[in-house]
Amino acid sequence: MQTITRKSYKYLATPIFGVLMGLVYLVAFWAGGSLAYGVFGLVVMVAFSLLLLVARRRSETVRGLLDHRDERITAIDLRATAVTALAMIAVVLVAFVVEIARGQSGWPYSMIGAVGGLAYLVAVIVLRIRG
Amino acid sequence: MTTLGAAVRNDVRERRTAKGLSQAELAERMDVSRQTINSIETDRYTPSLPLAIALARFFGVTVEEIFHADHY
Repeated sequence: MQTITRKSYKYLATPIFGVLMGLVYLVAFWAGGSLAYGVFGLVVMVAFSLLLLVARRRSETVRGLLDHRDERITAIDLRATAVTALAMIAVVLVAFVVEIARGQSGWPYSMIGAVGGLAYLVAVIVLRIRG
Repeated sequence: MTTLGAAVRNDVRERRTAKGLSQAELAERMDVSRQTINSIETDRYTPSLPLAIALARFFGVTVEEIFHADHY
């Protein structure tokens, strides 16, 4: 019986997403009349994607995050995401308070905060139902 | 839930070396990274119940014989 070994290209997903986002930045900045910023954004995203691919060859952690994910890497990723979310919440709250103190409406930070709060509530309810 | 902080003591390193396996070889058998095996052996990471059972079965012992949660 012949065993077929399939090579996985899952590790390319994040770098490809990075390059695609760089292209989106390019088009968005171009549409907004700032082509130079768009090119800079694309270069940064391509460089970041290449850095990930190089780091994957040397770092077991990066390799784990990109395609060889086990339970410990998943737990680390989950906690890192929670820390990132806390940092974002702090920034949005501070920015919202500063904006309203300056006599502004608080937009768009009020909307970002509302989306975040709603997402948290929905996640808690769904995860609670799923056990 | 898997915890990264409060780990329980274990005999994974002793049993692995007794079998003449490297961390990388045990990691491959368990389908986890070498870093994960190292973290378990140094009590920095408590594995999930499925992984703890898989390790116990691999070494031919019960979970209680390989993991020691004295404070429970």
